[in-house]
Amino acid sequence: MSPIHDQGYRRYPGERSPHGRAWAVIAAAGLRGFFRRREFLGLLLVSLFPFFVRVVQIYAAANLPQAAFLRPSPEMFRDFLRQQDIFVFFIAVYVGSGLIANDRRANALQLYLSKPLTRAEYVFGKLAILLAFLLLVTWVPATVLLLVQIVFAGNFTFVADHLYLLPAITLSSLVQALTVSVSMLALSSLSNSSRYVGILFAGLVFFSQALYGVLYAVTRDTSWSWMSFSANVSQIMALIFRMPSPYATPWPVSLGVMVGVIAAAVLVLERRVRGVEVVA
Amino acid sequence: MIIAADHLSKWYGQVIGLNDVTLAVPPGITGLLGPNGAGKSTLMKLITGQLRPSQGSITVFGEPIWRNPASYARIGFCPEQDAFYERMTGVEWVAALVGLNGVDEEAARAMAMRALDLVDLAGEARKKIGAYSKGMRQRVKLAQALAHDPELLILDEPLAGMDPVARRRTIRLIREWGRAGRTVLVSSHILHEIESMTSNVLLIHQGRILAEGNVHQIRDLIDEHPHTVYIRADETRALARAFLAEDGVLSLKFEDQALVVQTARPDAFYTRLTAMAASGELGTIHEVTSPDDNLQAVFQYLVK
Repeated sequence: MSPIHDQGYRRYPGERSPHGRAWAVIAAAGLRGFFRRREFLGLLLVSLFPFFVRVVQIYAAANLPQAAFLRPSPEMFRDFLRQQDIFVFFIAVYVGSGLIANDRRANALQLYLSKPLTRAEYVFGKLAILLAFLLLVTWVPATVLLLVQIVFAGNFTFVADHLYLLPAITLSSLVQALTVSVSMLALSSLSNSSRYVGILFAGLVFFSQALYGVLYAVTRDTSWSWMSFSANVSQIMALIFRMPSPYATPWPVSLGVMVGVIAAAVLVLERRVRGVEVVA
Repeated sequence: MIIAADHLSKWYGQVIGLNDVTLAVPPGITGLLGPNGAGKSTLMKLITGQLRPSQGSITVFGEPIWRNPASYARIGFCPEQDAFYERMTGVEWVAALVGLNGVDEEAARAMAMRALDLVDLAGEARKKIGAYSKGMRQRVKLAQALAHDPELLILDEPLAGMDPVARRRTIRLIREWGRAGRTVLVSSHILHEIESMTSNVLLIHQGRILAEGNVHQIRDLIDEHPHTVYIRADETRALARAFLAEDGVLSLKFEDQALVVQTARPDAFYTRLTAMAASGELGTIHEVTSPDDNLQAVFQYLVK
């Protein structure tokens, strides 16, 4: 055996995952990073308070005759998802504002995109981070509530009577999470400052709602609701849950606005997520 | 040929970044020499597939590189600008980037540590990048380019801002990588740096390839022009005293915590400077840079 050890680089003998999976590396790193932050875990815990209140409600309705009026209904699940709006907002700002902005500030995009990672994979990885957290405070607790109802009631009667409920919860959560995530990512790609992005997102949500509020106050007509980001989400959720529309705006208009917002966001992402910023 | 460009052009709106460039880069080390704004970075970004050619074509390993991420795994890119998360440690940052090459997490960390060891940063691997000096930042950028064991290394001004000792070490490393069978394309606006790594150069100016081949042919031209060196150090006055005794030093100027020297004999000057930095006899030398005025003069001469 030679006493002189080879100091040169040793090649990686292991398997490399096939191309097209780099988004998962981006997503996993992002998820791990947020789960390490105590303040974020605190925010997640607070966002689950309404869930625990609903669990108590379902328990009481199933076990206490005097609390029968608290019996779960499809409206309860829709209302729960609407209640989670405020946490969706905070999590979107906390998680989403820096997702691309921080990479832009750190100048990291040029390095990421010089690796075997396409722009689409990069955006999908970032989107997966925000989507996962938003579904964690909407779809996951709402679905668990449905299971809790089955456990406390001891039968499947409620679920059997409302078979559309699980798909409705899933679709509503996805519509809400996807609209918010894609919009937030697009805003995050517009700036190098996550704070500025957070303010921009808050502006988008509150200004659009305020604009609708003013027009409603003047005209007493809810058909202006298409102007409000959150009113459009409410309108589509009501449709999915087979409930009366809360606004006079036809649902295809609300849907069209949301599709338009997503399309605009995708366009922004296509132009802004580049390894090299081309100013032409 | 490892890299081949055929009538390659890139323009940004009305501005031409690269103008009808046809070139071939063979295996081994090739220096890309040109003043700031010559199109070096544009060419490197085209080679790494980050920019789409406006006209013409570019192939790397015989395949078009644009939208060909499978080929990116065979390339290591060290950009000119810093590209860090300051809160991450060196090993976390390099491992995160290696992970994008489809390597599992444990292996990525091991590869990152090996690469950091190769650039003499193993001892600082667990320190936050925010605490790194300019030279250490350059080396950690080199480590990420190297960590996934690429066949082609694209290094954009890798020596910028390094102190003389780190500079010498990095030059030695690049030469070793060339000897180990890698193809290295390294850019600089300082002939002296390129010359210490390779004799094969491409001269680029205003988006066009001006000359290619052996460095010695342009060497004589360079020597006709005084070479300016900017040195940021603790003891600038002591350094100035030492340089006054040197042959070839034409002028000395003090700037804020820095000394600007003009020399007619850059080779001898850099050798002396490196020896001074290594011995530490005249205090710490933090940074050595060279403005490209001298190279600019040569290019102006060549394009006349």
